Amino acid sequence: MSELAIRRGAAPALAVDGLTYWYPRAAAPALVDVSLGVAPGEFVLLAGRSASGKSTLLRAACGLVPHFHGGEIEGRVAVAGLDAIAGGPGELARAVGYVAQDPETQVVSTTVAAEIELPLEMRGDGPGDRARAVEEVALALAIPHLLGRAVDTLSGGELQRVALAAALVTRPRLVLLDEPTSQLDPVSGDELIWLLRRLNEEWGVAVVLAEHRLERCLAAADRVVAVVAGRIGFDGGPREFLGWTREADQTLTTPAARLFSLAGIEPLPVGVRDARRTLGEAGSSFAGSATAGGGRVDSGGAVGAGAATAVPHPGKGLSGEVSPPSRLPLRGRRRNRRDEAALLATGLWVELDDGSGPRDVIRGIDLAVAPGEQVALMGRNGAGKSTLLRTAAGLLEPAAGRVAAERMALLTQNPGDYLVRERVGDELPGEPGLAALRAVGMEHAIEADPRDLSGGERQRLALAVALAGRLDGDGVPGLVALDEPTRGMDRGRKDDLVALAGRLAAQGAAVVIATHDVEFAAEFAHRVVLLGDGVVIADGPSAAILSGGWYFATEVARVLDAPGVVTPEHGAALLAARASELSRHIWRLSSEAPRGGRP
Amino acid sequence: MRSPFAYIPRRGPLQSARPGAAVSYLGALVAVAFLYSNPVVLLAAGAAACLAGRLAGARAAVRAALRLGLGLAFLIVVVNALVVNRGETVLARLGDWPILGQVDVTLEAIVAGVSIGLRAAVTMVAFAVYSACVDPDRVLRALRPVAARSALTATLVSRLVPVAAADAGRLRDAARLRGPGAAAVGRGPLARRLLAGSLDRAVDVAATLELRGYGLGGPRGEGRREPSRYDTRFYAVAAAVVAAAIAGKLVGADDFRTYPTIQVGLAPATVAVAAIVAASGLAPWRRGGRRV
Repeated sequence: MSELAIRRGAAPALAVDGLTYWYPRAAAPALVDVSLGVAPGEFVLLAGRSASGKSTLLRAACGLVPHFHGGEIEGRVAVAGLDAIAGGPGELARAVGYVAQDPETQVVSTTVAAEIELPLEMRGDGPGDRARAVEEVALALAIPHLLGRAVDTLSGGELQRVALAAALVTRPRLVLLDEPTSQLDPVSGDELIWLLRRLNEEWGVAVVLAEHRLERCLAAADRVVAVVAGRIGFDGGPREFLGWTREADQTLTTPAARLFSLAGIEPLPVGVRDARRTLGEAGSSFAGSATAGGGRVDSGGAVGAGAATAVPHPGKGLSGEVSPPSRLPLRGRRRNRRDEAALLATGLWVELDDGSGPRDVIRGIDLAVAPGEQVALMGRNGAGKSTLLRTAAGLLEPAAGRVAAERMALLTQNPGDYLVRERVGDELPGEPGLAALRAVGMEHAIEADPRDLSGGERQRLALAVALAGRLDGDGVPGLVALDEPTRGMDRGRKDDLVALAGRLAAQGAAVVIATHDVEFAAEFAHRVVLLGDGVVIADGPSAAILSGGWYFATEVARVLDAPGVVTPEHGAALLAARASELSRHIWRLSSEAPRGGRP
Repeated sequence: MRSPFAYIPRRGPLQSARPGAAVSYLGALVAVAFLYSNPVVLLAAGAAACLAGRLAGARAAVRAALRLGLGLAFLIVVVNALVVNRGETVLARLGDWPILGQVDVTLEAIVAGVSIGLRAAVTMVAFAVYSACVDPDRVLRALRPVAARSALTATLVSRLVPVAAADAGRLRDAARLRGPGAAAVGRGPLARRLLAGSLDRAVDVAATLELRGYGLGGPRGEGRREPSRYDTRFYAVAAAVVAAAIAGKLVGADDFRTYPTIQVGLAPATVAVAAIVAASGLAPWRRGGRRV
């Protein structure tokens, strides 16, 4: 098909018909009889659990499957009229752009300008056209200031934008994105989604976006396709999708939809704005109502006087002001004994050099975490979360100040780095190894090959490797720290991780998790420490921190704008309390009105 | 953490020059190091390479290359002193050693080692300046039309080296974070794991190259003529250095003998060649911009 025909949008952006695909030597197909069409200019969200086949479908749409991965394929895939199975990814490059999850391996040049220009050069565009296209895509993505930079000096968010620019520079009809926000902080993630929406609207690019954190992008989508065990389980509008999740798979729903489901409110909202509008139209404008006295939340997180359904929210309540770290009382089992802190940093400064000269990444942090505490460490990319944990674990030396951690086990962002042998028992020999496996509930897998375990099991095994020999006589670790453990995880696996963290904390371990995932933090943490540019900018109960802002706030908090209300369960209780209060108020008004008179 | 030898985009003359001009200039310094044995000229070539790197803003690369180069030079001096028994000025008699036999350390052998070591150090500094100042993308772009497959391999390698270095750093950190009760990780398992991971990474990078259209058989578009006002300067300096070196060689400027006694020529020709070579280090100099 000619370039002109592709530009004019004569064919669907993507047409998949009866696609079945087996990876080489796979026992079962990754995709089964998948049929899907994407119209020009459509924004499609691809939902599904981990390993459901989303990535494989995207890879088939850009020609990597089967041309790059091999395997057996049946059916038909066409991108802008080009046969993706007959042609390869190179042939499709002019019609489709692809952005993968890991930005590090999707750049192949040394400088940003060269990276963006490469596809045009390969396509045979002239120097003038190339220079103009690079300039325009850089302006569209707000990265002209990065053009002269080396790619290995960019942050994750910047690198992801550069990868997107390289995918868009040829003005493709279709752009495919595989969890592009999984390594980004909430600010960068939101920016990327709205940037995609803008490009979709202004450039007419069809977008197919695979994501786990649906609350982030559902409102931007025209349509949702759910992939279930390699098949299309659902294909329809965002609101219908939310209805489908109630019956088919509740782990795919969004927090706001869950809030409405629990509160019995219809229709389910596809985003914060939608939810607020629905609540407003229902006469229940909760923005400010919770702070104005109705449906107040007590320190335990339960709904206050008049609550119809009190939902406990243990340890996450609004227990007072948000404290600076130096004034924060240690909480947990052994509170008020500072010398027993599992993690104690005093006046901590850490200096790093990323090639552009030394820089203070941690700047005078004071922090104490008590045994039994569950703490989420949050902040934008580069705020110093990982550096703080790595310093506490002894990987980095403080430039000034002190940090001490009691029997600390740190699991870094890639659990696979901890697994170097072919048998679990060889990684964790003897009684210390068995005790560590018991601590993470993996003692049954001692004979297994780590490569045969699921992603969640591999993560727990890596944690056991870090824990081995660091448990006390009762098998209790001192401090367990995990750095961004929820990347690429579906909600089911996140729930498993929350349960594991809760179990370790219940035994007396302090659990600190650095994460960008506010919904996960709301489920897991009792306390949130928010870092910004190397200093602690907020430290307090998770309910207070995660309901007190916009980016670092849960979807429920943004919908209700009620201090201390961050989870769907808690929000639903608040809505129920408000409804109950309203009905009592109406009943009181009607009973006070003179009989036969006007109300 | 970035390697000190990694390319950093800057707007200096050396970075702005076309790869051919930059390579000619730095190559001329390396040519001098291989043509001459006289330590005065070698020191001048080393000073020129260091000065060029410093003016080009590659101070960290020069420092790292000097550390490595002088370390290597010291090793060469020690080995030469132990292995070569020639020379009349015996500084120490170390007796009979296995394999080496009678070992006499002579001043002449040490000076000969210094000359060889200086040559190695100059070469390393020049390569460090090249690595930190010459855009590999432009080099690969120049290479692609003439050798597409080699350019593809070089592109893969140039990307995989920093990725593999980052992976190795992560694996080392993970090994340090293993609990004391976990099996220790030796270099063997770590290397195997790194190799396996590198293969996965190579597949990812190769997939990205495919998606960028690399599989279409190389660039079909006209090469971009990026403007540079410094090319002439670097070509001219390179030509002057090579011409002076060859002329000096012909008139005996490389007068240097180590055995049986040391003779370092300091004739006017030697001094002139050394001066020209040292002055060539100023080529990347740029006058400060006018304030507006």
